[in-house]
Amino acid sequence: MLTKSEQERYNRQIMIQEIGEEGQEKIKRAKILIAGVGGLGSPVAINLAAAGVGVIRLVDHDRVDLSNLNRQVLHWAKDIGRKKVDSALEKLRELNPDIKITAIEKTIDESTVSQIVDDSDLIVDAMDNLATRYLLNKCAIEKNIPFFHGAVQGFEGRAMTVIPGKSACLSCMYRGPVPAETFPVIGVAPAVIGAIQATEVIKFIVGSGSLLTNRLLVYDGLKMEFNEFKVRRNPECEQCGHLILKE
Amino acid sequence: MGVQIYIHTSQFPLTNGKEVVEVEGNTVRKCLENLIGKYPKMEKGLFEKKGKLHPFVEIYINMETAYPDELSKPVKDGDKIHIILMLAGG
Repeated sequence: MLTKSEQERYNRQIMIQEIGEEGQEKIKRAKILIAGVGGLGSPVAINLAAAGVGVIRLVDHDRVDLSNLNRQVLHWAKDIGRKKVDSALEKLRELNPDIKITAIEKTIDESTVSQIVDDSDLIVDAMDNLATRYLLNKCAIEKNIPFFHGAVQGFEGRAMTVIPGKSACLSCMYRGPVPAETFPVIGVAPAVIGAIQATEVIKFIVGSGSLLTNRLLVYDGLKMEFNEFKVRRNPECEQCGHLILKE
Repeated sequence: MGVQIYIHTSQFPLTNGKEVVEVEGNTVRKCLENLIGKYPKMEKGLFEKKGKLHPFVEIYINMETAYPDELSKPVKDGDKIHIILMLAGG
C-alpha cells in the first residue's frame, strides 16, 4: 500500500496509464543493486530513487576525485576525497528519505560478487570496465536476475537489457579480454545512457513496454543518432549457453 | 553497387573523415580487406594481428550481429556492414 505522502510524491507517474498505483507499489517493493556510482551510476541512482524504488543498494570501491566531477553528478566539489558510496548515499537520502538506500564500499571481484548481489531483484551495470561487467553478467545469469547493461565513451553510449534464459547476455558476443584504460567521456553521454537504463528498470518492474532484449542500442551524441542492432543468444555462450540447451 | 561499410565515429580519422565507404566483396573479410586497401590506417584499427579482429571490434551486417566467425560471413551488393567498437566506460 502506498502512503498518502507517497501517493502525492509519485502522483505524476501514477497518472501514467502503464504505471498507476499498482505499478508504483511494484516499484516500491523492488530491490535494486546499482554497481558503480560514477558517471552512469549517478543518473541511474537519481532517477530510480526519485521514482521510488523501495530498496537501492549501491556498490563502489572508489573515492571522489576532481576529475570525476565533469560527469558523476552525485558527487560535488565538497565531496573530493570522500568515499563515493557515502557521497551518493547522502544526496540520494535527501532526494528521497522514504526509500531504503544502503551502500557497500567494496571491489566487485570473483570472491565478492555473489555476496554483493545477494538477493537483489535487478542489477544495473554502471561499471567502468568490461571485466567487472562480465563478472556481474555471469552472476546475474547464475542467480537468474535481470541485468541492465550500459557503457559510455566520448559522446557515445550503448545499452542492452539481459533477461537470463530469455535474451542474449553480454557474454553471448564475447571476443576476448579488452584491457582497461582511462577513457575519455563528457557527462552528457552517461546522462543519456543512465536515463535509458533507469527507464528499462522501471519498465521491467511495472511490466510495460518493450525491453532492450536481443537489441543493442547504440547512441552517437555527435551525430545525435540512435541505432539498434539485433543480437542473438549464443548456444556456445560460456555464461548462458547451458540455459538454451535446457529448453 | 557494392557493400557499404559504416565506419565507427572514433575511426573517422583513419578514413580521412569518410563515414561510409563503398567496397566490393562477397565476405566480410574481403570487404574489410578492400576497405584497408583504400584506407591502410584501418588495418590497425580493426585487426590485432593478421586475420584476427581486435576483441573490441564488433561487426554487424544489415543491423544484425555477425558474431561468431564474423569475417567469413557472406555479404552481397547492397548490404550494409557496421563497424562498432565496444565501450567500456561508465
